[in-house]
Amino acid sequence: MSYFFQLVVSGIVVGSIYALSALGFVLIYKSSRVLNIAHGQIIAVGAFITYALTVWANIPIFISLVFSMGITFFLAMSVERVFLRRLIGEPIISVIMVTIGLMSILDGLVYLTPFGSENFSFPEFLPTTPIGFGGVSISWTQMVGVIITIIMIAAFSWFFKKSTVGISMRAVSDDQLASMSIGISVPKVFGLAWAMAGLSAAAAGSIIGNITGLNFETLHAFGIVVFPVVILGGLDSILGAVVAGIIMGLIQQFASGYLDGNWGLNGTGGVAPYIILLVILLFKPHGLFGIHEIERV
Amino acid sequence: MSSNRWLATGNYFTSYREEQRIFFTSLDRAVMGFFLLCLFVWPIFIDVDNKYMLVIDNILVAVIAVMGLNLVTGFAGLISIGHAAFVGIGAYTIASFSRVLGESHVLLTHAWPVMIIISGMVGAVFGAIVGLPALRLKHLYLAIATLSFQMIFQWTINFMDFFNQGQTISVGRVAWLTGTVSRDQHYIFWYYAILVFIVLTGFSVRNLLRTRYGRCLVAVRDNDRAADAMGMHPGFTKVYAFALAGFLAGVAGALNAYIYRGVGVESFTLHASITYLAMAIVGGLGTLHGSFWGPAAIKVLDLQVEKLAEWSATFLPANMNLATALKPLSFGLVIVLFLMFEPRGIANWWRIFRSYVKLWPFRY
Repeated sequence: MSYFFQLVVSGIVVGSIYALSALGFVLIYKSSRVLNIAHGQIIAVGAFITYALTVWANIPIFISLVFSMGITFFLAMSVERVFLRRLIGEPIISVIMVTIGLMSILDGLVYLTPFGSENFSFPEFLPTTPIGFGGVSISWTQMVGVIITIIMIAAFSWFFKKSTVGISMRAVSDDQLASMSIGISVPKVFGLAWAMAGLSAAAAGSIIGNITGLNFETLHAFGIVVFPVVILGGLDSILGAVVAGIIMGLIQQFASGYLDGNWGLNGTGGVAPYIILLVILLFKPHGLFGIHEIERV
Repeated sequence: MSSNRWLATGNYFTSYREEQRIFFTSLDRAVMGFFLLCLFVWPIFIDVDNKYMLVIDNILVAVIAVMGLNLVTGFAGLISIGHAAFVGIGAYTIASFSRVLGESHVLLTHAWPVMIIISGMVGAVFGAIVGLPALRLKHLYLAIATLSFQMIFQWTINFMDFFNQGQTISVGRVAWLTGTVSRDQHYIFWYYAILVFIVLTGFSVRNLLRTRYGRCLVAVRDNDRAADAMGMHPGFTKVYAFALAGFLAGVAGALNAYIYRGVGVESFTLHASITYLAMAIVGGLGTLHGSFWGPAAIKVLDLQVEKLAEWSATFLPANMNLATALKPLSFGLVIVLFLMFEPRGIANWWRIFRSYVKLWPFRY
């Protein structure tokens, strides 16, 4: 039974990281209808900036996390300005392919730095003995990661519910023309959505980097793993991203905990989310919380 | 058929039949015939290194695969981020035969055209199965469903002993009328074989697009609800588009297996899927000749970047591997630049060039 609870706990840890990664993704999709395939690369870049500031510039880790969030904020904003602003109104496939191109460019740029070929790990700044209660243990890094995730998600929810900018972002995602007519600058909102996504990506990347170590392949794989999460939750729902993140984390942990090693199966944790995703899409084509678009000829 | 289209001032078609001809004039037909003849004859006069012949073979195989992708993404408008998995299914059909029967079984070495067609059919079956979600899913949700298929495919290959867990499964040398194809004849032999397949598939796709079914694809892309109201069956059309794409991809995969004389999972990863998409985009989505330009452009670019990296390795420190960085960088830049400045791809340059030649020496 404690094995089960252990899996639940690690599922929630993994799931909350998925949720945080998916959050930025959903932000971009919600406001500008862009499927950002380069999100994993932004996550990785955020993690690397945090590492560089912490280790190479000797800044305390929490301050460098804030700095890194600030840098990716402007990085993502400029990405939107340079690459995606010209593609507003182009067909979906063009927009997807631009983000794929962006992914390749970021890949290339990262391979030019030492991060592309070598593995790094963050210095230990938390107690290494795990917290244990009743046979279930969780490491301090994971604990802090989950707490930061919860804070970030709460902050984002507050931002969208209460602040003027957040409300204008929701307005744009609801109806672009109407929000333009009441004086909201739609391109600015797009830029801001990307910037916020970059910010949350840096946070997600730093947390993942602290838990698993800095490996470019692992980090940018998160950009692909978020797909089942966001599709399951519905592409345009923040609540959906959080719920689906937790669900996918649990599925993954249960699959690798119970299926691997039995019946000759191996590595099921990587594939189970996709299978579950396909099954769910058959019954709910717009995910759990996605808006069912009404199409007219 | 006889009037010279290059001198005409406009279209003077009097029937739909006339407008849908592939060749408008006898000259067009003659030029095409001459071009095809050149494609078959040139290796006799020009001696090409095996290394470059392999590149040409690769381009041609990619042309077949991209033709399939163009059918499903360009003509039917269904984004598929799992095309390499279909190609992989074709290749692994050959690999399974090789695993079960032994790599030099008569079926594999002598009946290879049949095997290639069978691989195509297996690809088509999988295409139809993967296309089934298209009955309910749309746009991005469908794109992600194909991505899931790609991931499931990779996992299946990587973790099944039957498929050697993604390691290379070898395929024997094929035989031709003159006996077993030898090592130095291998690539040139496959050049001809693939060329035949390309001519066949190219003409069938061109013809398909003139028929009811082909125009159905375009109608469903433009607006599937309107197409439904016009009496077409969008669901069936989508599944059928995926099946066709699967067929062409399966053929490409089988050819790939024969050229490399082995099948390994690393040629059919997500990255390969993305490369196929990029080829289709760079060539020009929704045009048939775009499927020829795209693979050529991307593969040549790859080759040049490799050369540049090799050259730079002579004066860079040994631990810096520029190729790993430059390849994705140049690939990404090409995609982004094309989408920003020429979203209709190289096919559009060809169109501009043709109208320029036609009107020369006048501007319009």
